[in-house]
Amino acid sequence: MKVVLQDLVKQYPSSSSIAVNHVNLTIENGELAVFLGPSGCGKTTTMRIIAGLETPDSGHVFIGERDVTDLASKDRRVAMVFQNFSMYPSMTVYENIAFPLQVLKLSKDEIDRQVKEAAGLVGVGHLLQRSSRQVSGGEAQRVALARSMVRRPEVFLMDEPLSSLDAKLRIQMRTEIKRLHQETGTTIVFVTHDQEEAMSLGDKIVVMDHGNVQQVGTPQEVFFNPRNVFVANFVGTPTMNMFDGTVKPNGGGLCVDLAGIELKLPERFPGASTGMPVKWGVRPESVKLVDDGQPGDVPGTIELIEALGSRQQVFVRAADKLFSAMIDALHPVRVGENVHLRFDHRGTHLFNAQTGLSLAEPH
Amino acid sequence: MAISLRQRLSAYVIMGILLLFILIPLVAGALTAFKPQIIWVSSPPVWVFQPTLENFEFVFIQRQNLLHLRNSLIIASGSVAIALILGVPAAYALARFRFRGSKGLLQWLISLRMIPPIVVALPFYVLFQTFDLRGTHFGLILAYLTFLIPLVIWMMRGYFVEIPSAMEESAMVEGYSRLQALRKVVLPVVTPGIIATALLNFIFAWNEYFLALILGGRDTSTLPVAAATYVGRARVEWGNLFAVNLIIMLPVIILTIILRRQLVKGLALGLVE
Repeated sequence: MKVVLQDLVKQYPSSSSIAVNHVNLTIENGELAVFLGPSGCGKTTTMRIIAGLETPDSGHVFIGERDVTDLASKDRRVAMVFQNFSMYPSMTVYENIAFPLQVLKLSKDEIDRQVKEAAGLVGVGHLLQRSSRQVSGGEAQRVALARSMVRRPEVFLMDEPLSSLDAKLRIQMRTEIKRLHQETGTTIVFVTHDQEEAMSLGDKIVVMDHGNVQQVGTPQEVFFNPRNVFVANFVGTPTMNMFDGTVKPNGGGLCVDLAGIELKLPERFPGASTGMPVKWGVRPESVKLVDDGQPGDVPGTIELIEALGSRQQVFVRAADKLFSAMIDALHPVRVGENVHLRFDHRGTHLFNAQTGLSLAEPH
Repeated sequence: MAISLRQRLSAYVIMGILLLFILIPLVAGALTAFKPQIIWVSSPPVWVFQPTLENFEFVFIQRQNLLHLRNSLIIASGSVAIALILGVPAAYALARFRFRGSKGLLQWLISLRMIPPIVVALPFYVLFQTFDLRGTHFGLILAYLTFLIPLVIWMMRGYFVEIPSAMEESAMVEGYSRLQALRKVVLPVVTPGIIATALLNFIFAWNEYFLALILGGRDTSTLPVAAATYVGRARVEWGNLFAVNLIIMLPVIILTIILRRQLVKGLALGLVE
């Protein structure tokens, strides 16, 4: 089902800041939308408002065509998977999965059929008689998934369901959630602070900070065309290189002066004008190291090298600034070596230093 | 941390000495309960004798302490039951919701626990006289609730706070109301806590002497009050006294043994705040 959030506002009485600040959002039917942001950004609160566990101060929540704003959680036909809770400890795996069905007054056979089907789908069919103490964290989280599925909800809400699992299991479960989404075609809203998780899962990513939606877009859009400084910094590992500078005239065009480094600006930044204080950024993946510099390259010295398997992250000191470059692991480099930095202009970004907004032409 | 043999040994020695201090009076008392009157207070004490039930016969049949046992049972279990019925939901509310004055309410409740019974004895006496509650089972139950409900709320709140609220929220999203979620998923988890709470409260109500003496009438006095009647101005009827004492101690000991596993689990569950 489609989920529409209309001008949602929520402020907790104990807090001076606004948890959810006039959020407007449409999640299409069948979409996997990821709320991404640091802790305290309002992503979980927004999800809890969709679930009916929090009441918004103002605004409306629609699921499909229904306005569910004043509906109790139990009547919303949503399912939720939680971060710090997976199984009812007093029940077996079977009883856990059957729990949402019991309230529906179904026949015993029907419950049995559905429990087994859901358990099979997430791979806990062989654990049905185990108690909550006899399953691992990953298995318990699968049980939670199965339990959320049996009611055939119109929307799945997942609040950091993988963050308590270890790294390997997390990636495995991520794939399973993606598969589950493809098989059921149900709308999923997924909350995470892990931008890698968000990128790999989401059809649509909603980047949030301080209760505000910072950007809504596909993983590619938020990565390649961040709308503002926050999104540019938050999305992507390692983080984007970003420095303060001023826009200056340069021949016929413009350049950015980064205190010691002058870089010609490509024409993609129509918002830039002479004298404007800006933040200039480039992703480490768009920084190349070359031995013999050409005009436009920046000379520097390698200060630190981190091996990351097939890639390596190289920190280069240039004009008193530390740039990080993500290059092929086989590229021979050593600490202390003098190199030239060459920036791929398609990977550079320019933001208004005052408003934080991107100066690139809108997409 | 490894415990050396020496540490373990000294721990056992200390526990042994403590146990001796605790057990000697108990055993001596229990034995006296079965002694014939002539050797109640013989010096040196007699340890080997032909046990008799005459003390029990005397207190139960002639002095009608069976009636007092009944009173004790009614009042202790009645007050514990009501304290749980009122206190457990209150504890849940105080654990889960912030509302105007919720913090002050908690502190006020714990302050009730700190009041020594003697402070309230006189006002209670006047109140009970006015409302015709003196000498009724219900009156004494009501008086005990003053002390039991705060204890229930504080203990149970500790247990509820430990449970992630996502547990009920999950049930609420899955089609249950908050009350149903409380009953179906939360209460089963805190059952050991409820048992520990009930037992501690039962012991308080069962042992209580002072309020029972002041507010109880002839027909409603409890076992501790009855036991005190064997301590006279001129002499103490040791055998009869210990016979009643044994009856007072037995239910508590038996309950504790039956519920010890739940009790340990319950005491370990909460009270860590």
